[in-house]
Amino acid sequence: MPKIAIDPITRIEGHLRIEAQVDAGQVKDAWASGTMFRGIELILKNRDPRDAWAFAQRI
Amino acid sequence: MGEASGSIYDSLRKKGVSRRDFMKFCSLMAATLALPVGGAAKIAEALEKAPKPTLVWLEFQDCCGNTESFLRANDPTVAQIVLDLLSVDYHETIMAPAGKQAEKSLYDVVKNQKGKYLVVVEGAIPLKDGGVYCTVGGRAAIDIAKEVCGNAMATIAMGACAWDGGIPGAAPNPTGAVGVKDAVKDITLINLPGCPANVVNLTGTIVHLLTFGSLPLTDSMGRPLFAYGHRIHDDCERRAHYDAGRFVQIWGDEGHKKGWCLYQMGCKGPETFKNCPAQRWNQGTSWPVEAGHGCIGCAAPHFWDTMTPFYKRIEQVPGFGVEATADKFGAGLAAATAAGLIVHRIARASKKKSSEEEEK
Repeated sequence: MPKIAIDPITRIEGHLRIEAQVDAGQVKDAWASGTMFRGIELILKNRDPRDAWAFAQRI
Repeated sequence: MGEASGSIYDSLRKKGVSRRDFMKFCSLMAATLALPVGGAAKIAEALEKAPKPTLVWLEFQDCCGNTESFLRANDPTVAQIVLDLLSVDYHETIMAPAGKQAEKSLYDVVKNQKGKYLVVVEGAIPLKDGGVYCTVGGRAAIDIAKEVCGNAMATIAMGACAWDGGIPGAAPNPTGAVGVKDAVKDITLINLPGCPANVVNLTGTIVHLLTFGSLPLTDSMGRPLFAYGHRIHDDCERRAHYDAGRFVQIWGDEGHKKGWCLYQMGCKGPETFKNCPAQRWNQGTSWPVEAGHGCIGCAAPHFWDTMTPFYKRIEQVPGFGVEATADKFGAGLAAATAAGLIVHRIARASKKKSSEEEEK
């Protein structure tokens, strides 16, 4: 079965890759990957809780 | 999106922008860039002839906030002009093609317009583990940045992340995120920090380039002086309250209702250089301090680490204690001015040096 990949997916906010297995024009299986990681949860640790909104807002 | 053809002014006329609106835009730009008398006419003359530059917009470790800022040029006329100044050939958030077709749009520009196009970078570039924390089309952000910025006429790093790593680069910086200046060397680069950067400053930078054929003068940190040359504290509409010692003490108290100074609530205006009080946001409607919240210092270096906790009062502001004696204030102000002048001289000297190096 041929496998296709669409990366970047545009007109969305963020980075997304879609891979799909196609059989006779029908998608049999598909995988989505977010291709960007920043670790905001790790960055938020041990900070003043009153600042959390500003960090989390940037996700 | 589309072919770069005709002058910017021709394109605007076709879209029904009147001469009057065009001149209003040129005046706004002349004021933003702090040009002397005749600046607006000079800009108008240049834009009447200048061909539309091609721009590609790269998004890396970003939240899309600078794109929102870019698209929020919401006065219909100004938005038309801003979007018409440029032929935006690649921008993942707003472009129709996806996947291979999208990549083709980008690399066609790199190949066919080598040394002639502009790049805006939004978001930080992760270097840890071979750059795996941000990929587009299977390529690491660092590889894309090196190729696309390396072949451009100029790169504009828009927002705090593209400048110095911003929020992904905040401690403990899990992905080794850095800004363009630390990721790609030997390119023509200007930085518009802020979280987000203001579209007026992006437009001003591009208009300066089209009018004078050069990027605006920058400070030692690569930020244009027209936008980052003034301290927020010095242009703040609440400054008189600071000088008179009238401070908000608790959110919602009498002083807060009366619009007093937010210094004691943690405002970072005294340590931040940006033109927010003059340019403001949302079509000049307001800005954070006017809305009643302190400045979070988003244009300052590594502000997620250096300006936090956001609600903790900063110490040792030059000129603080003005209400005590006028002389003390005067001395503080003089010291602050002197420090400002030194910064300015360093910036000019480094600019001169870099232009000499370019000539070699």
